[in-house]
Amino acid sequence: MTARRDSAVDLPHYDASAIEQQVVPALQEAFPDDIEDVRAMPVDETVVMVSVAGLREIVGHLVEVLNVPHLSTITGQEVDGGVDLLYHFWHGSGLTLRVLLPLDALEIATVTDIIPGAAFYEREIVEMLGVTFVGHQDPLRLFLPDDWDGPPPLRKERS
Amino acid sequence: MRRITIPIGPQHPLLKEPVSFLLDVEGEQVLDSVLRLGYVHRGIERLAQERSYVQIVHLVERVCGICSHVHTTTYCKAVESLMGLEVPERGVYLRALLCELERIHSHMLWLGVLAMNMGFDTVFMYAWRDREIVLDMMEDLSGGRVSHAVNIIGGVRIDLDEEQRKDMLARLAQLEQQVHRAKDVVEHERSLRARTEGIGILTPEQAKQYCVVGPVARASGLDMDLRRDMPHLPYSELDFEVITHDAGDVWARTLVRVLETVESVRLCRQILENLPDGPVSVRAKRRAPEGEAVTRTEAPRGEVIYYVRGDGSESPARLKIRTPTLTTLITLPEQLRNVAVADVSVVLSGVDLCIACADR
Repeated sequence: MTARRDSAVDLPHYDASAIEQQVVPALQEAFPDDIEDVRAMPVDETVVMVSVAGLREIVGHLVEVLNVPHLSTITGQEVDGGVDLLYHFWHGSGLTLRVLLPLDALEIATVTDIIPGAAFYEREIVEMLGVTFVGHQDPLRLFLPDDWDGPPPLRKERS
Repeated sequence: MRRITIPIGPQHPLLKEPVSFLLDVEGEQVLDSVLRLGYVHRGIERLAQERSYVQIVHLVERVCGICSHVHTTTYCKAVESLMGLEVPERGVYLRALLCELERIHSHMLWLGVLAMNMGFDTVFMYAWRDREIVLDMMEDLSGGRVSHAVNIIGGVRIDLDEEQRKDMLARLAQLEQQVHRAKDVVEHERSLRARTEGIGILTPEQAKQYCVVGPVARASGLDMDLRRDMPHLPYSELDFEVITHDAGDVWARTLVRVLETVESVRLCRQILENLPDGPVSVRAKRRAPEGEAVTRTEAPRGEVIYYVRGDGSESPARLKIRTPTLTTLITLPEQLRNVAVADVSVVLSGVDLCIACADR
């Protein structure tokens, strides 16, 4: 049962070496000002540090031009100096786009219009870390109770 | 006709786990649906920040009640790469053996649930009877039917002797016969096909846009399987086929899962026949150095991803878990659109929901 129809849809072809050899160099060439750093992370992951302003455009380029459509998830975490967002893509190996939001401006453009599958991941970060995704169509509660009025639970406690 | 909204859940009439759907219906047609999670949200990611690396193995085992071993495997792989540990080959093979047994268990359980929800109790009973073979195998191997507690950081805590190995091979042969029977039913049984064909369709384009994983993605034509696409031991040395289909309906998902079960039986046999000698684990430290790691594993429902960041202490600074059900839940409004109310149960069963996983 491995027959595949030649459909009009441009289905991605996953390749373990594509991220490192083709995708990252292509991104560096297209966005020289927005890509700040590239390094490796175990296991099979390449991490690309990008600017807050450039993220949306880079994701759009990744999905629409380079045909890397699979966003595994978005990790959010509070670190020294802000909230760190990691957009984990997968295309045979991992590609993580990393942005650092400063604590006094926890705002970033949504990617849900480019990747509808990101909607739940963004909603979870809204609830758990108090980040605002500008342009998200449906930022309702997904996990926390309706009557939860405490601070976002994954933020560090401050006295 | 008047448009009305029917709330289904959170105490769900057909799923064992709590989730809430608001179905917008007109007559017998579902027009739209909204879903709400969180009724079994246990805060596992937050809890993990307060536990030691060793304790978390037991914590993440409880993310899912069906694929518990995949979660500990993914977590242990992440922590091992932080600590710089290399698991001995025999340990890696035994981990994979349990992963494949778990896949068989999960797919057969699911086939039973689907059959029961469409009113086909015979298939339900056969599927769950035959699932006992694999549950017994897992119990003999680990002492537990669903929570195995097999993984430790640095390897596994179980080993097989020659007699056990031969016994498992014999039972696999028996299991294989039953799996082929289930496959015949799925392929040819007319009432099963009538209930599942053309229902809950997810097109390849939608599967791609929603970043769907696992059997649901493969049944919609996305040719992805982390066991093949991220070649690590032991899968890089084993021979198996990735099953795909392009219909994208519930029947295609059923067929993909049943054929995958056949492949998993083959994989188990190859693992048992080629089991390397040697130790099954290495000693791990209590602390992990500063650093971060991402690991992905092909669970029965698709890609599981873990992100672990260590800060040099005995607990991680962050543990992020994304389970495969979260990727399929988001597609349900698409799948339920224009479906008859009577088919809602089939569509919901078809994606193989694991709500506790999605909530964490």
